[in-house]
Amino acid sequence: MKDFSKQLLETRLRAYGAGGLSSFSKSAEEGGCGVTGFACNIPLAGRFIYEPSIQMQNRGNGKGGGIAAVGLTCEQIGVSRDVLDSHYLYQIALLDPDCHAELERQYILPYFEVALSTRQPHIDEYRDIPGLEVRPPDVHRYVARVKRDVLESFAQENGLEKMDSRDLEDEFVWRNSFRLNEAYYASLGEKRAFVLSHGRDLLVFKIVGYAEQNVQYYQLQDFKAHGWIAHQRYPTKGRVWHPGGAHPFVGLNEALVHNGDFANYHSVGEYLRQRNIRQQFLTDTEVSVQLFDLWDRVYKYPLEYIIEALAPTTEMDFDLLPPEKKETYRQIQATHIHASPDGPWFFIIARSKPDERKVQLLGITDTSMLRPQVFALSDNGEVQIGLICSEKQAIDATLRSLAAEDLRFCPVADRYWNARGGSHTDGGAFIFTIESNGNGGKKLTCTDKFGRPVTLDAGTVRCDPAPEDGGNEKVPNAMKELVSGHLDQGEAGELFDHACGLHCWDAADLGRFCRLVVEGARDAGSRRTAIAALTMLHDRRYYTGEKRRASVIRVVEDALEKLFDSAPLFEEPQSGYWRRLTWSSRERIAAPGKGEEALIIDARGFPPEGDDCDALLIRKGYELGWRKFVCYRLRGQRFHGAGLGERTDGVRIDLYGSDGDYAASGMDGLEIHIHGNAQDQVAQIANRGKLVIYGDVGQTFMYGAKGGEVFVLGNAAGRPLINAVGRPRVVINGTSLDFLAESFMAGDPLADGGFVILNGMEFDGRGRLIPQPVPYPGSNLFSLASGGAIYMRDPHQQVVKGQLNGGVLSSLTEADWNLIRPYLEENERLFGIRVQDLLTVGGQSRPPQEVYRKVSAVKLSVLAGGAPVEEDDY
Amino acid sequence: MTTTIADLKRQNNERYQRPGNSDYPQETVERIVRPAPDRYRNAIGKFKVDRLANCIACGRCAEVCSYGVHAKPEGYKYTIRPQDYRCIGPACLETGQDCVSQCPVHALRVRLNPNAECLGDPRWSSDLVLATWHMAETGHRPPAHLEYRLGESGGGFDRIRFKFEVDGSEPDRALADKPEDPASNSGPEADTGLELNRRGDNRPRIRIDIPVYGGGMSFGSVSIHTILAKARAMTAWNSFTCTGEGGYPDRLKPYDDHVITQVATGLFGVREETIRRVRIVEFKYAQGAKPGLGGHLLGDKNTPDVAQMRGAVAGNALFSPFPFHSVYSVEDHKKHLDWIKEVNPRCLVSVKVSTPTDVDMVAVGSFYAGAHIIHLDGSYGGTGAAPDIAKKNIAMPIEYAVPKVHKFLSAESIREKVTLIASGGIRTAYDALKAIALGADGVVIGTTEMIALGCVRCSTCESGRGCPRGIASTDPEMVALMPLDWATQRLINLQNAWREQMIYVLKKLGLPSIQSLRGRTDFLCYMDDSINTKDVAK
Repeated sequence: MKDFSKQLLETRLRAYGAGGLSSFSKSAEEGGCGVTGFACNIPLAGRFIYEPSIQMQNRGNGKGGGIAAVGLTCEQIGVSRDVLDSHYLYQIALLDPDCHAELERQYILPYFEVALSTRQPHIDEYRDIPGLEVRPPDVHRYVARVKRDVLESFAQENGLEKMDSRDLEDEFVWRNSFRLNEAYYASLGEKRAFVLSHGRDLLVFKIVGYAEQNVQYYQLQDFKAHGWIAHQRYPTKGRVWHPGGAHPFVGLNEALVHNGDFANYHSVGEYLRQRNIRQQFLTDTEVSVQLFDLWDRVYKYPLEYIIEALAPTTEMDFDLLPPEKKETYRQIQATHIHASPDGPWFFIIARSKPDERKVQLLGITDTSMLRPQVFALSDNGEVQIGLICSEKQAIDATLRSLAAEDLRFCPVADRYWNARGGSHTDGGAFIFTIESNGNGGKKLTCTDKFGRPVTLDAGTVRCDPAPEDGGNEKVPNAMKELVSGHLDQGEAGELFDHACGLHCWDAADLGRFCRLVVEGARDAGSRRTAIAALTMLHDRRYYTGEKRRASVIRVVEDALEKLFDSAPLFEEPQSGYWRRLTWSSRERIAAPGKGEEALIIDARGFPPEGDDCDALLIRKGYELGWRKFVCYRLRGQRFHGAGLGERTDGVRIDLYGSDGDYAASGMDGLEIHIHGNAQDQVAQIANRGKLVIYGDVGQTFMYGAKGGEVFVLGNAAGRPLINAVGRPRVVINGTSLDFLAESFMAGDPLADGGFVILNGMEFDGRGRLIPQPVPYPGSNLFSLASGGAIYMRDPHQQVVKGQLNGGVLSSLTEADWNLIRPYLEENERLFGIRVQDLLTVGGQSRPPQEVYRKVSAVKLSVLAGGAPVEEDDY
Repeated sequence: MTTTIADLKRQNNERYQRPGNSDYPQETVERIVRPAPDRYRNAIGKFKVDRLANCIACGRCAEVCSYGVHAKPEGYKYTIRPQDYRCIGPACLETGQDCVSQCPVHALRVRLNPNAECLGDPRWSSDLVLATWHMAETGHRPPAHLEYRLGESGGGFDRIRFKFEVDGSEPDRALADKPEDPASNSGPEADTGLELNRRGDNRPRIRIDIPVYGGGMSFGSVSIHTILAKARAMTAWNSFTCTGEGGYPDRLKPYDDHVITQVATGLFGVREETIRRVRIVEFKYAQGAKPGLGGHLLGDKNTPDVAQMRGAVAGNALFSPFPFHSVYSVEDHKKHLDWIKEVNPRCLVSVKVSTPTDVDMVAVGSFYAGAHIIHLDGSYGGTGAAPDIAKKNIAMPIEYAVPKVHKFLSAESIREKVTLIASGGIRTAYDALKAIALGADGVVIGTTEMIALGCVRCSTCESGRGCPRGIASTDPEMVALMPLDWATQRLINLQNAWREQMIYVLKKLGLPSIQSLRGRTDFLCYMDDSINTKDVAK
């Protein structure tokens, strides 16, 4: 096939008219944003993008919100499948409805065969939507193709006669939209109309408001699509906002939302202008999608190359590539590095590939992974859904709202993970693809950028549907007696051990068991035991046989919520042990009565921050004399455990649900257990105390920490323990994606200083402990650190000197082992990860010195200053 | 079941009656101007007075000198060594009533002091250093022979004048702001107070008596006496000083109500209690002298005391990264502010940023993120520890940044809801006034305070045990060189002199308050190349 890219780009100047290629600077500064998206093998209604968008309102400021849908249903568009697949959906935002006739006469009718011309319905009065201050544009949609004769003369004029006719038509549509925007939006002081989207099988809506208000205003609650993305914008410039600046931005068949900010907008813009691509909306996001469109539609790069051009593979990740890939990547980098967005960014792209009958959802981050992002995959064998969000809680919100309506969905995903752009080990970027499954239905697959599939090795039998008997008839007496016996004796461990037999239970037995536990908790002792037992069932990894773990978690979560719901509110009669607060009864908080130990807070309805957040309620409870706290049904609420002040020994906080950012920040003595994944900025400046995370933890975990003992069951995303000093002591059972312990300045671990134990382990789909492919995949470990140490489980010596920048690898001494052993024992107690298993390599038990390695600091004379340091001066 | 949320609210309300958030007994410091002469025996002045060997000790010079250069106390056989740093030089010689012409044996000679001639640099000219020393010593405006308003940089504030300075309406500048100046002595005093919380939220209002507060200098970068003197002087002036990022020394606790806790990128020494006990918390995102570079305390300055405060190991170099690793965008920024507000529900929040070209957008974003104070740090500041290549070369000069942000905030209709503070090279009261006339509400000073304490601008702040004058040192012997009471007095005096000059200018302009000067660029003019700045100044 002949390459027309050069000719195509050269002739674009014609589209620009008098404006030419003049250069512009960025008009809007917008670092902040919340992005979310999902793709599913069955079409899902627009209302499901509503929940996660609301969850991330605090990432936007209501000055711009947009959504995009791909993989549409032909019935709802009102055309046949063939027409939907072959025609362009030309969707125009009419800020000034009066210009429509003129616009149609000039830019639509002369060029397009219109199969359908329709106005998007909307509610009558935008002010009926609370908080919506600017009237959203009217949206007019044409389902259209370019007229044959128009296309022929277009080809002639541009010397593109031999180009593939679909490519030619795509280019015509692209240029037509450019000219339309130029006439009605970009060049005018007054903004009258602009093209929202013009691809196939793809629609975009955007307004000055929050993303979810698109769904409300344009009445998309029941509008179905295979893929949805949404964006909450946080623009900071200009008092008058136009929806044109909101995301998503489109190339042709793709819509892109973006969270972040480039440092090199100018350079990227220059690169694009050298290729005759001009900007109209002057934002980072516009140039991002222009890059994608250039590399995809014009240069026809495979997706892997596009991702490489955006987020280059560098350092050790590059070294690990196979030789032929290195050669290709080096060429890509040499050609396109100055167009690679520099700085923090995270893209979610939804695109249709109508000719292949495919829909895709992509998440890509910058090489250094400076923006938060979470991926998730859920598969019940029948429906598969892939999700990408700024925060895990938005994923949970989506799944929860789906599960509430459709039993095929589970509110807990089967797998959650983070990614680092440019990573060799995990592929860096992830792509969900929906295509035909060959049986008339669709299937969803997930791959990394190299095309390696992400699979789930989880059971498929569900435990969560309520048992049909609804009651206790089928509960064996033996189980009843056993549960009540253990509850009476306070034997949480035994209850848990019993439930570990789950893999050979009936699917419904788990629900029965949990119910017995909840109902059997009738006094302080049995309540304590019931909480402990259910919590272990929730937190621990164990073999579930054919049962799907996500559904096990759901059953246990429900049971825990029921158990906590049974605690009396403050106005209700005392029932010993506990008291409960809800949003509506929060004002009634009072000091603990006789025998009351635990303050239970139902977080539903509490805002994530501000004067009414539940974290402040914990603080009030603490001032009133409470020492034990439980927050449950968390939906991204932040700051738990912060603000209690110094010397909080004896306080314990247990958090259930989707906990938000900054948990445990500043803790000084207290103990916090996060039952599930933790989010970003956890334990910032922590000083003393204990933190246990029964899952993964997000970005910049323990930034600037001074101390504290912390145990993490899973992975830490990026930059954990950066700039930490003093004596933090941390066990991470998984790994960290990159920048672990950068500028670590803790004291000598053998002289009461700080350290990190990195086990590099994970659990397989059935709950078995296995080593990760490498203990540490990042290229930067312990960079510029001047104190402290990392103890790594690395029996095969996979970590190499090149990953260090200022640190030195050494073997473990007896003293080192004596130091870390108690922490590994505590780790065993908390998570059930046995020290013995950690010391087992390939089935063989090994001495610690052969399993663990130590990274410690080297003292650089250049950093010492002038004179040598004398310690005994004072 | 005794305490209810209503009780808590009441207790909170009671707390609101008190000005501060600290549980520690607060000390007061008297706002009294007292002489605080140079702490070295041979103070440096602009002129040198030589007494030749043929002196007959007649005492005539002591009789004629009204500046205290010469003295022959009762019962002394000889006139004592000239205190020549007090000499006003040629202006005196012109009167004919000077020691040189009156000396019967021509044993006296006045010349420029070579020490003074090699002092300073174009920004901090020798005159400015000496003038600042004089103000710190006396609490009042320096004598006419010292240029106290302008440096010699030929740019920045040195190119900007109040129109009255050049249009002939200040005929006898020598009298300006002196007790004998009629303009300074008539009518009610202009108001120099500054309101810091304009958001109208439920957080306390804080009003300071002067439109100036002290910049952040960490324990470790400067001595404990320097830190305490700054705090005590600002306590006297009912204003604030800032901890910098090295932690919160216990000895600062008696001044909690006048301390700003800085939360900087290294998060050194930042603990919940240090956030909770103060009334203002400052986020340092960047420093105008070295944006994008972060901070770096070399191993030698990390003494055991410093290390303990920062929770670090003595002798190890300490890095402060250039960004907040937890903040890469404006929604992170809001979250970050929300966190501090959660930890201290009664504090105001200040956001200190440097001045990139899009500083206006940064300021608006900070306002929407919830900041009470936006603190712009321009490129002229920075101590000897900031690399020369960075200073003045990366960030935008503050006199450009201030009006840019002021106008932008006004266009957004939020100017009245936020306090805009300028820093980065505010050397003199006139610099401060110009910054305010350009659109700031107030200023933050740093280097000026160091000069007042006797800094000679040798630029070796970062090396070894640091400062030869014990200001920026952590070495106990060096620290003891500078007594705390003396240092406090110097800084109290400096602010008094500044305030007198501010009131003089406000009266000259016919303005009732410092706040009414804000944004009044019409009072200013810019001196272009055709005018020799030195000529105009004289």
